[in-house]
Amino acid sequence: MTAWVGGLCRHCLLPVGPRALQQTVNGESCSFCCYGCSIAFQVRSGKTEEWEAAWLLIRLGIGGFFSMNIMLFSLLIYGGVFTGADARILPIIDVLLLILATPTVIILGGPFLRETLVEGARGHLTSSALIVLGVGAAYFYSTIAVFEKNAQVYFDTATMVLMLFTLGRYLEAAGRARAARDLEPLLAAERENVRVVQDDGTESLCPVRQVETGTLVRVRPGERIAIDGVIVEGASHADEAVMTGESRPVEKSLGSAVIAGSVNMEGPLLIRSSGSGSATRWAQICRSVRDALIRRSPIHRLADQAVALAVPGVLVLGALTVIYWAQWLPLDRAMLMGVAVLVVACPCAVGLAAPLATSLCIGRLAHHGCLVRDAGTLESLARVRLLAFDKTGTLTLGKARLVAIETDGSAINEALAKAAGLEQHSEHSLGRAVVKAAAEQSIKAAVARDVRAIPGRGIAGQIDGAIAAAGSLPLMRDLEFAIAPALAECGRRAEANGYSVIYVGWAGKTRALISLDDTPVAGARFTIDALRTRGIHATVLTGDLAPAAQRVAAALGIEDVRAGLAPEAKRVVLAGYNRSRDKVAMVGDGLNDGPVLADVDVGIAVGTATDLARETAAVVLPVDGLWLLPWIIDCARIAGKTVRANLVWAFGYNFVALTLASLGMLQPIIAAAIMAGSSILVILNSLRLERLPDPTPWQQAADQTSGQENIYHDTRLPVALGAAVKQG
Amino acid sequence: MTYYYVVVFAAGFAGSFHCIGMCGGFACGLGRDPRGGAATAFRHLLYNSGRLTTYCFLGALAGALGQVICTSRGTTFTLLGGSLDAIERVLASVAGLLMIAMALHFFGLLRAFHRLTAGFVSSTFAMSLRSLLTTRNRAAPLAFGVVNGFLPCPLVYAFAAEAASTFQALSGLLTMAAFGLGTFPAMLMMGGIGRLLAPAWRQRGVWVAGGFIFLLGIITLGRGVLPFGAHMAHGLFGGHPA
Repeated sequence: MTAWVGGLCRHCLLPVGPRALQQTVNGESCSFCCYGCSIAFQVRSGKTEEWEAAWLLIRLGIGGFFSMNIMLFSLLIYGGVFTGADARILPIIDVLLLILATPTVIILGGPFLRETLVEGARGHLTSSALIVLGVGAAYFYSTIAVFEKNAQVYFDTATMVLMLFTLGRYLEAAGRARAARDLEPLLAAERENVRVVQDDGTESLCPVRQVETGTLVRVRPGERIAIDGVIVEGASHADEAVMTGESRPVEKSLGSAVIAGSVNMEGPLLIRSSGSGSATRWAQICRSVRDALIRRSPIHRLADQAVALAVPGVLVLGALTVIYWAQWLPLDRAMLMGVAVLVVACPCAVGLAAPLATSLCIGRLAHHGCLVRDAGTLESLARVRLLAFDKTGTLTLGKARLVAIETDGSAINEALAKAAGLEQHSEHSLGRAVVKAAAEQSIKAAVARDVRAIPGRGIAGQIDGAIAAAGSLPLMRDLEFAIAPALAECGRRAEANGYSVIYVGWAGKTRALISLDDTPVAGARFTIDALRTRGIHATVLTGDLAPAAQRVAAALGIEDVRAGLAPEAKRVVLAGYNRSRDKVAMVGDGLNDGPVLADVDVGIAVGTATDLARETAAVVLPVDGLWLLPWIIDCARIAGKTVRANLVWAFGYNFVALTLASLGMLQPIIAAAIMAGSSILVILNSLRLERLPDPTPWQQAADQTSGQENIYHDTRLPVALGAAVKQG
Repeated sequence: MTYYYVVVFAAGFAGSFHCIGMCGGFACGLGRDPRGGAATAFRHLLYNSGRLTTYCFLGALAGALGQVICTSRGTTFTLLGGSLDAIERVLASVAGLLMIAMALHFFGLLRAFHRLTAGFVSSTFAMSLRSLLTTRNRAAPLAFGVVNGFLPCPLVYAFAAEAASTFQALSGLLTMAAFGLGTFPAMLMMGGIGRLLAPAWRQRGVWVAGGFIFLLGIITLGRGVLPFGAHMAHGLFGGHPA
C-alpha cells in the first residue's frame, strides 16, 4: 500500500495512486488508476484488444445478472416461501445457487484475486486481500455445505459482496472520468498531435513537442490550437476561455495571432508557428498542473499510511472475531461475522477522499490561470491567516503616475507642455508618465529641438529658442537655472516622502516641479477588503521608503506596514509570524523576492512566469490577477472542507461499522452495501467541487458593494492637475 | 389474485410506450445482428431478460423490505393484529401516494420527479451504457439489459413502491415480474417498429399507463386508509397476497 508508482492514469489523467494497474495497450505500457479507466481507454484507442476490454465492462452486467438471481432465491428463502411442504426442494435450490454462483465468483472476483496476488508478490497487503479472503471463505464454506446437505449456504453473501465492491470500483472510475473531463484541456498539451503541412503540401501528424518555429500547422474546426502562431490562411473564431478567461469567441482572420490552448470554432486554419511547441504558455500550464496532480498532499499520505497499517490489523481482528464467536455459535455464523468484519473494514472510501477533490480544485484554479504547486499548497492556503504583500509590482504596478505640479508662478499648463515636449524624446518611465499626463489633460506638447538626454540627470533641448530642461536638481544646477527657495523646499519635501520629482526649467530659471508616484494595481483595494471579510490580516512588507509605503497602504486600507526592509529582513519578519500556528503567505512579483517566497508557508507570485518548476513560489497568479486571491482562498477552503468531510465520513464509517461487525450485529451484504454507499457519498461530495463558483471580476463585485472602489479612485488621485498648489 | 397481476401487466404494457420514449433509444441502439433475424431476436431476448432480472430483483427486495418492516415487531404477528395493521396501513398509504404522484407525473401535472431522474446517476449510467453498446460481444446485451433496469425511471419506482406494499418477497417479485413481462411486447418490437410509432401514440400510451398506475395507487391507498380497506382490495381482485 505504501508503494507509490507515480505518474498519471493514462485515461483519466488523475494520479494512479497505490493501486496502479499496468497494462500493455497497442504495444505501449500504460498505467491506469482503475479497471474502468483501462477499459475506457482501450475501447477508445484500442483495436486488437477491443474484445478483451469490452468483456471487462460486461463483467459487471453478467455478474449482476447471476448475483441478482441468487439474491432473488435468498430473499424468497428468508421470506419464508420455502417452508413446510416446499422445504424439500431446498437442496435442489442450493445446487442451483452453486451453479449460478461459480461463474459470478470467477467473473467478478478475478480482478480482486489478481490484484491481491500481484501486490502480494511485491510484498504488499492491499484491501482487495480482505475481499478475496472474505468472499473465498463464504463461497468455499457454502460449496462444502451443498454437498453435506445439512447446512445453510451463503452464496448470496459471496456474490453480493463482490457485486457491490465491483460497483464501488466502477463508481470510482465514473467519478474520475467526470473529473478528467474537467481537467482534459489542461493536460492535453503533452500528448496532443498536430497536423503539420510539409513543403510539398502533404499533411502528417506529429506530436506538439516536435513543432518548431515556422512550422505550418493545419487546425480543423472544433480542434484545439496546440501552438502559438499567426494565421496564414483562413478565418474563424477562437474560444480562448481556458487561457485568457475571455468567455466570448474571439474573431480570428488572416494575420491574427492565435494562442495555444484555445479552440478553433468554425473555419479551418493554417497557422505558422511562432515558437517551439513545448514552450507555449499552455504547455507550461499543462506541465505545472500535471506535476501538481502527481504530488500527494500530506493529508493524502497520512490516509494512505493509515490504510496500509489497517489491512493487517483487520485480518487479525477478523480472525479474532471468528475464534471468539465460534465458542458460542455454530461455525458458519461465526465465519459470517468474520466475513462482515473483513468486508466492512475495506477502506475504499479513505483512498478516494483526498485525490478527487484536490484534483478538481487544482484544475478549477488552473482554468482561470492560477497555478498551484501541489495539493499540500491547497491545504496550507486554506489555513492562511496572514497575508504579506510586497509593494512594488504587487500592490502597485511599478509604473509612475503624475500626481502634482507645483510652480513658481508660471502657468501649470505651460510647464507641463514644455516638460512633455522634452520627455517625448525620452525612454525613461518617468518621462513617459509626464507625456501621458499631458495627453490626458489635452495639453499639446511644445515643439523641442536639439534634444539630448543627459544620462542620470534628465533631458534638455531648445523650446521657442530658449534652453529648456526637465530632470533632477543637479541638472538644474549644471544649467545654472536659479531655483526659488520655496520651490526647492517643496521638492525636498516631496522627495523625502518618496515621490519621484522632475524639475522643469526654461529661460534660465527652474520654474516647476512635477511629483510622480507609483500606480496602485486596479482592484487592489477590493482584494484587501475581500480578504479582510475572510478573516485574513493583510500587511505590507517593502524595501521602499516608509512614507511611500504608508501612502499606498492607507489608500488600500492596510494598517500594518513595515518599510525599508531588505529581503533578508523580510524573511526575519515573516519567520516571526511563522511561529504562530496559522499559515503565513507572502505575495510578491517573484523576481527580486524569490527567496522570501520560497521560505514562507505559501509563496504567491503575481503574473510572472507560468512554469512552476522554475518558480520559487507555490502559487502563481496570472498577469493582473491579484483580484483572484480571495477566490483562490475560497476554493482552497472549500476543497479542504470537502477532503476533511470525506475523511471524517470514511474513517468514522469504518470505525462504527467495524465495531458493529465484530459484535456480530452486521450482515456481510448490508456491510458491503453501506461500503459501496460510502464510496458513492465520498465521490458525490468531491464532485460538488465541479460547481465551484467562478471568480467575480472585481469591477462587478465593487459595483455591487456600494462603489467602494470608486471612492478609492478619487483618493488615489488627490491632486488633479488644475488644483496644483501654486508656490510663489 | 390473478386479476391483480393482470392489472399490473396491463399497466406495464401501457407504460412501455413510455419506455419507448426513454429506454427505447437504447433498445434501438442494440439494433440488428448481422448474423440474421434469429440472432437479432436472441439479442433482444437477452437484453429483455437482463432487464426482467433487475426488475424481479428490485421487486423481491422491495417486498422483503416491506416484510421486514412489518415483521420487525417479532413473532407477535397474529396476536397484536391491531398495531401491526397500523404499520401496514401507513406503508400502504405511502406507497399509494407515491404511485398517485407518479401517475400525476405521467399526466404532466407534477414536475418534481424530473429532477430525481436527472443528474449524476443517469449520466454515469448513460456513460456505461454507451460503452456497452459499442461492443460486439454476444453477452453484452444481457449486461446492457441488467444495467438498463437500474436506470432511474418513474415507472419502475412506482411499481417498486407497489411491490413494497405487498409486504412479501414473493408477491413483490411477482408484481415486478408481471410489470416487466408487460413491457416485453413493446420493447421486443423496438428493433422493428419502434421508430415508426408516432409521438402522439406514445403520449396516449403514457396517459393510459398513468391511468392504470393511478388506479393501482388509489387501491393501495385505500388499503391503508379505508376501514376494512385490505379486505376490499382482496375482494376486488380476488384477494392479493398481502
